[in-house]
Amino acid sequence: MAAKPGTASTTYSPVDPTHKTKPSIFTDSDWVRPDSRGFQQCRPAFFRTGAVNSASGSAYAEFGNTKVIVSVFGPRESKKAMMYSDVGRLNCNVSYTTFATHVRGQGSDNKEFSSMLHKALEGAIILESFPKTTVDVFALVLESGGSDLPVVISCASLALADAGIMMYDLVTSVSVSCLGKNLLIDPILEEESCQDGSLMIACMPSRYEVTQLTVTGELSAPNLSEAMQLCLDACAKLAQIMRSCLKEAASAAEE
Amino acid sequence: MGLPNASEDLSSEMEVDAFRRLFPLRYFERHLTESIRPDARPLRKARDTTIALGAVASADGSALAKIGSTTMLAAIKMEVMTPSLESPDEGCIAIDFHMPPICSPIVRPGRPAEVAPVLSKQLSDTITSSGMINLKELSLVSGKAAWMAYLDIYCLDADGALFDAALLSAVASFSHLQIPVVSLDYDGKIVIMSEEQKEENSETKPVNKEKRKLTLSTIPFSLTCILHKSYILADPTAEEESIMETLVTVVLDSSGQLVSLYKPGGSVLVYTSAVQDCVALTRQRVKELQNILDDAISGMEID
Amino acid sequence: MVGLSEGEKEFIKGGIAQDLRSDGRKRYTYRPIYVETGVIPQANGSARVRLGATDVIASVKAELGKPSALQPDKGKVALFIDCSPTAEPTFEGRGGEELSAELSSALQRCLLGSKSGAGAGIDLSSLIVVEGKVCWDLYIDGLVISSDGNLLDALGAAIKAALSNTGIPTVHVVAGASNDEQPEVDISDEEFLHFDTSGVPVIVTLTKVGKHYIVDATSEEESQMSSAVSISINRQGHICGMTKRGGSGIDPSVILDMISVANFVSRQLIEKLDSEISAAEANEEDS
Repeated sequence: MAAKPGTASTTYSPVDPTHKTKPSIFTDSDWVRPDSRGFQQCRPAFFRTGAVNSASGSAYAEFGNTKVIVSVFGPRESKKAMMYSDVGRLNCNVSYTTFATHVRGQGSDNKEFSSMLHKALEGAIILESFPKTTVDVFALVLESGGSDLPVVISCASLALADAGIMMYDLVTSVSVSCLGKNLLIDPILEEESCQDGSLMIACMPSRYEVTQLTVTGELSAPNLSEAMQLCLDACAKLAQIMRSCLKEAASAAEE
Repeated sequence: MGLPNASEDLSSEMEVDAFRRLFPLRYFERHLTESIRPDARPLRKARDTTIALGAVASADGSALAKIGSTTMLAAIKMEVMTPSLESPDEGCIAIDFHMPPICSPIVRPGRPAEVAPVLSKQLSDTITSSGMINLKELSLVSGKAAWMAYLDIYCLDADGALFDAALLSAVASFSHLQIPVVSLDYDGKIVIMSEEQKEENSETKPVNKEKRKLTLSTIPFSLTCILHKSYILADPTAEEESIMETLVTVVLDSSGQLVSLYKPGGSVLVYTSAVQDCVALTRQRVKELQNILDDAISGMEID
Repeated sequence: MVGLSEGEKEFIKGGIAQDLRSDGRKRYTYRPIYVETGVIPQANGSARVRLGATDVIASVKAELGKPSALQPDKGKVALFIDCSPTAEPTFEGRGGEELSAELSSALQRCLLGSKSGAGAGIDLSSLIVVEGKVCWDLYIDGLVISSDGNLLDALGAAIKAALSNTGIPTVHVVAGASNDEQPEVDISDEEFLHFDTSGVPVIVTLTKVGKHYIVDATSEEESQMSSAVSISINRQGHICGMTKRGGSGIDPSVILDMISVANFVSRQLIEKLDSEISAAEANEEDS
């Protein structure tokens, strides 16, 4: 370990010189997505609860190459330095493994994602149900394949449900990338790297409420409302998949 | 010391779960006298073990190992380095063990677990000293370029016997490792060869056509045992490790030679006979693990 | 932290419901904006913006650097916000870190656009000197001196003002350097290049209190918010970034309504800001 910081700067990962970083023109109407999906088709989603035994609740999610584990601990005692609070606290942390990205990273915490995850979830959790204590939501991105944050958010709400934390509704999240004139739902890494604009929505589908929303880059007003509608529809579908996953786990536990 | 006696009397009246929490040591000792463990295992039996190869698509080699619910994910990324002057035709291996906050309630972000760097060092010592990997195989161009294998092991679920699971995932990921075919470009940099280049026999020649896989001459496997009084418990869970403190980890290679033996303190002093028992248990376990790894590898080849 | 009695809370909420806020403003009225440029002489550009009792400073510093391998035809911009403990005692030590990080990432999203560069307020390709070799690195630093709500809008305005105040020295590349070497450059002391800041968007934060939403909330009003949406809009009325802050969920139709309100408000804000910036620039030249 001690040798690492010194050697890290002197090593490089070999690249394929023929590999083009910029794909062909996206504005073509007959352009096909790299994984040959339709523009408005999400990747197949796989969820499983109870991935980590030592946690109060946990979930594993896999969307194509994006693989995420979320563990929930608590409600447990808040840190000593915390002041008294008559509502519960939510503490979120998102980190990446060193091998999650194509180029070997440092595997550090992602502060921005941590605070975005916090904001996406806090509106859905009934914090009054665990006063004075803290619920910790820790996410680890095993492999990054695009749309990482939306997958983390959906997976985290499933883990919270698995831990038996009271929520108004499941939080599901989907993002849309705008490439030229096209709107692509659930973009993969390659598509994200050349997007003109993107919209991410986290919502509670049964209540039809948006808990978190970000727009990056330029989107025209009609594009934006179309993208929002796309996201909301996809979120509702995702919620069904997550619900059936929870039901399966519950019926398996009964047997 | 009135408490232990009091618990003896209480044990008949108390709920099992409450007894387990209040008097964990008593609870375990009552099991041990019956030669059974709370998870219904015999004392010297390890938990179910599985290996899945190729769990991480973005890595050059990866493996997911599970022993009971202890889960380890290991992945190798190959990068190019300039070899040192002392050993111009040898590559290098950097091993790092991580315990992210998801794996256990005792790890919190910003406060890494104390055992993580200890295990990191142990793993790296074990793998280098076992002679499993011939560093010469990692050489590309003598004195100019060699592979640096970054092995990162993540603990996804910590439930005891962390070293055993980590070592198993590490050796499994090395056996899954597929080194990319590379060639030398005009600037003397190593670049990956594309599919077309491989086929059309162009002037760029691959540097490492034959060396896609590492020959693992001998593979180290390990077993951790808990020593408590005269009992030996193989493959402890996290709960057992927290109650009974004396651990012995034996590492043997596939030919049965002793690679290393750790007994990091603990309250129980050990007779050599007990250590010999541990080694004998490990010898059996090595055979099991070798079979599990072989099955995983042959399963990969069919796909 | 704002400590309010139940009565005060009701007063604030009631005022907003009746379109008459406690400081006499209407729901969509900003507090008076004061802009002062060139406040930090050693920076390439700087500005101080006061919005009521909210007081922020932004500075732009340019350094020559090397463009990244992935984008050889673009310069780099680093944006960092610091919350001074003078603004609020809780910002002492690491206390302001979380807010700083939140503000920095929201501003980055609003000002720097997406990965392909669309929607960016700053044209990164104008920062290039020699493609793949030399470019300007812009370091934008924001400092919160005093905080009375609506920090994001104030910081956005300060950065816009600082950028229009920024002069980047023109660079002459010394000819004759071979292809592999880093070219030698000659930095001029007299000629300066000014940014075209007409494309830099403004940020409008709409804070939802009760059923209604307001612009430019004070910290007392912010303490009563259920959620807030920050929308960055450029002169053409295009949305360049959006972040939701805090708390409970909002109905999607409300968000669309908020966007159209923000669009309307942003036009007035851009106009007001432009005139304030040019007045400040004129002031600086006089003195």
